[in-house]
Amino acid sequence: MGWISDKLSRLRQADDLIAANNRYFRELDRSRRLVDYSYVVYDTELTGLNQKKDEIISIGAVRIRDMRIDLGETFHYYVRPRNLEHTRATLIHRITPEQLKAAPPLEEVLPLFLRFIETDLLVGHYVWIDTSFLNRATRKFYRGTIANPNLDTMRMAQVYKRSPLYPYQGASRLDENGYNLQRLSAELNLPFFEAHDALEDALQTAYLFIFLVKKLGTVGIHTISELFKAGKKIDWTVMKTGIA
Amino acid sequence: MAEHNDKHTRSAVPSINGREHMVAPEVAVAFLRSTMPFKELDEQTLAGLARHCKIDFFPKGTRIFTYNQTEITHLYLIQRGGVRAFITDDDGDIVLKDYRGVGANIGALGIIRGTKANLNIETIEDTFCYLIPRDIFKNLVLTVSSVSHYYLKIFSDNIVATAYTELRKNKLARRNSEELFLFNTKAGELSKPLYSVSATTSIQECGAIMARQSIGSLLVYMDEDPGAMIGIITDTDFRRKVIAEGRDYREPVASIMSSPLKTIPSDMLCFDVLLKMMTTSIHHLGVEQGGRVTGVITSHDIMVQQGNSPYYLFKEIASQKEFDGLYMLAEKVSGLVRNIINEGAKAEDISRMIALINEKILARILVLLHYQLGPSPVKYSWLMFGSEGRHEQTFKTDQDNGIVFQDPEPGRRQEVIDYFSTFGELATHHLVKCGYPSCPDNVMASNPKWCRPLSEWMQQFSHWITQADPQEQFNSAIFFDFRNGFGTEQIAMDLRDHVVGMCSGENTIVKNLARSCLRVPAPLSFFQQFVVEQNGDQRDRLDIKRRGLAPFVDFARVMSLKYCIRQTNTLSRLKRLRIKMKLADDFYNQMIEVYDLQMQLRVIHQLGQIENGEEPDDFIYPDQLTDLEKRMLKDGFSVIDTLQQLLRKEIQEL
Repeated sequence: MGWISDKLSRLRQADDLIAANNRYFRELDRSRRLVDYSYVVYDTELTGLNQKKDEIISIGAVRIRDMRIDLGETFHYYVRPRNLEHTRATLIHRITPEQLKAAPPLEEVLPLFLRFIETDLLVGHYVWIDTSFLNRATRKFYRGTIANPNLDTMRMAQVYKRSPLYPYQGASRLDENGYNLQRLSAELNLPFFEAHDALEDALQTAYLFIFLVKKLGTVGIHTISELFKAGKKIDWTVMKTGIA
Repeated sequence: MAEHNDKHTRSAVPSINGREHMVAPEVAVAFLRSTMPFKELDEQTLAGLARHCKIDFFPKGTRIFTYNQTEITHLYLIQRGGVRAFITDDDGDIVLKDYRGVGANIGALGIIRGTKANLNIETIEDTFCYLIPRDIFKNLVLTVSSVSHYYLKIFSDNIVATAYTELRKNKLARRNSEELFLFNTKAGELSKPLYSVSATTSIQECGAIMARQSIGSLLVYMDEDPGAMIGIITDTDFRRKVIAEGRDYREPVASIMSSPLKTIPSDMLCFDVLLKMMTTSIHHLGVEQGGRVTGVITSHDIMVQQGNSPYYLFKEIASQKEFDGLYMLAEKVSGLVRNIINEGAKAEDISRMIALINEKILARILVLLHYQLGPSPVKYSWLMFGSEGRHEQTFKTDQDNGIVFQDPEPGRRQEVIDYFSTFGELATHHLVKCGYPSCPDNVMASNPKWCRPLSEWMQQFSHWITQADPQEQFNSAIFFDFRNGFGTEQIAMDLRDHVVGMCSGENTIVKNLARSCLRVPAPLSFFQQFVVEQNGDQRDRLDIKRRGLAPFVDFARVMSLKYCIRQTNTLSRLKRLRIKMKLADDFYNQMIEVYDLQMQLRVIHQLGQIENGEEPDDFIYPDQLTDLEKRMLKDGFSVIDTLQQLLRKEIQEL
């Protein structure tokens, strides 16, 4: 009996969480300056890209406040997939099956992550992939999706490369590999490391993000609206086909 | 839930299995671990420190600190990029203090002393920094002795550091005997006997006493107590207070003395005495023993003890009667150079000093040879080519020399040739013994090809200028740097007249030499790589002579041919070219600075090698350079690029 009410209250609480989240973002002022928001830069590791079958097996995130990466506010969990046997075959080399077996399931990690991101804006590289897996999970557990606006560093990098700031105008316009996180970091001369987990991928993305926000600020892109407007000129279909 | 709408009640990061979900990324810990002075910290402290760090990004050209305004809230640790530190002087001119690159930190001094920024800091590249909160950093300095020692050392070094003193300190470990001297000798041992006068003595009489005794200072006492010194007068006081102020010589000395007399105990170590003189700018101190002033010590007294002065070596060389004695004296050159570097000489002075010593040694060898072989049958000039001809040798460079002698009367031709043949042979032999190795291309006075009468030398130059093919012209370049090293200078000048005359209006040699200069491009990319790729492969080395200095030397030589300039020294040539080519002041000054810096780096590099018992060479390794030096060199190479563009333009017009 106890465990049923326990589970019910957890569900109720979760639903509240989504509702409050949605309420908050209905009133979000998109004309504030990018540097005035707080962000959570995150990355997930997945067993694959198939939305139906594949699962999240780790989430790494780091917070940015005042446009500074805060190494004291990080989030990193491995997630035990439901189908561990199936996963074993498709595992990414940097996570061992033992780590996954010992990890909590997604329904335990998800609320922790949602509390961590709170009302911060979400940032990721090709973030729509991570978000679609995240939303699938919130729909399943909480019957709703979170409304935190997403900023994609890949799109922002495209805006950057089309701006007068980019020294090699037109050079790699359609070269999708040019937007791979590692390549991009090397090309823009960011601090660069071989990432070992989702947390370090998130950190690498965070470097890219603060670089892009501050650089774009010098050519008059200061707000989310201005950023999205600059991004509209880009043919997004290139991005979608390039990833598969 | 309310907490979602209220930023301030954000709870700590939740966790299931303890704290491992909140650790800083390992790469962040690794970065701190790679950085001085944090690499000394234990792993746990490092991990904790990483959790307190924030990472910020500053696009190129961002002002991070403003002098005397910025409150320093964090220590900045450069992870990527670089900054320059500068102050603005009273005239509004920017005075560059230094450059800092990856791994360097900013703001430590301000945090430790609790002051605002003491420098302006501006990014010169896109820069990422780790920010360590002020109190966390302060706590480290207070509790971890390796961290506090690190900063103590940095700050005490910084007090006396300028760009050049930094170069000197980094590259040259002080020789033991010098240190021993400063730490083993007490002030009392060096103090000069006391000369004192009554305070009522006239200024004129004091001057007379000082002149008679050949001393630079006098102590002053009151008649009531002749043992107690109340002040001192020095040569400087006469200049500043008597002559400059037009004071009456009959006034008592008390009116111009410095009082009270600053004293030190006689058992104070010379090192501490020097330090005191440096910090107070007082160079005459009374030496006190048993409560009485017993003598005077000056910074000069200490310096003189510190090693062989050039003057001493010159005198020794000139008085040598035997070749063996000369060989031994030649070995002292590097010690002498070390001294003048320690005293702050710039590269130009250093190579002039080396040239001067080398000339003294050469002159002595040739004089001794004349004792041995008899006087020369006709007038001659001992020619020096290449770096010697340009006054630009550093340490033992190969011999590049020749002899030009007056055309003999037809009947005496063979006799004269025989004399100079033996003379050249013996001279080059003794030069080898003095540490100047033979020229691999045999450009030496012992080679009959380079020991010839004036008329033949003139023909040789005419051939190079008007008939030789590009390769031969290229090979002949060092001959155009000739100057008289010993003998009758007029003969070398006649030859120079001939060369200048032949070159005017003759464009082929200028074009060909310019083209060969342009074949070696400015090493821009090389340096970009090694400034940026801190962790990359650093085995690349830089041939500072060929890639750094030669472009300046070659440019100056070829343009001097074009503009009929007789000078051979590169800096003198550039000085003339500045006017003839109408070079912009900024560019000219930059050129001189860069050239001098590179000469300096090369001299210091070679001196270090000699003292380690290695053969001196021209290869500079990036990992042995400080950030400052890398930065300065990198800037310098863009000057070379401009130089080459200029050269390209000059020959297009021909």
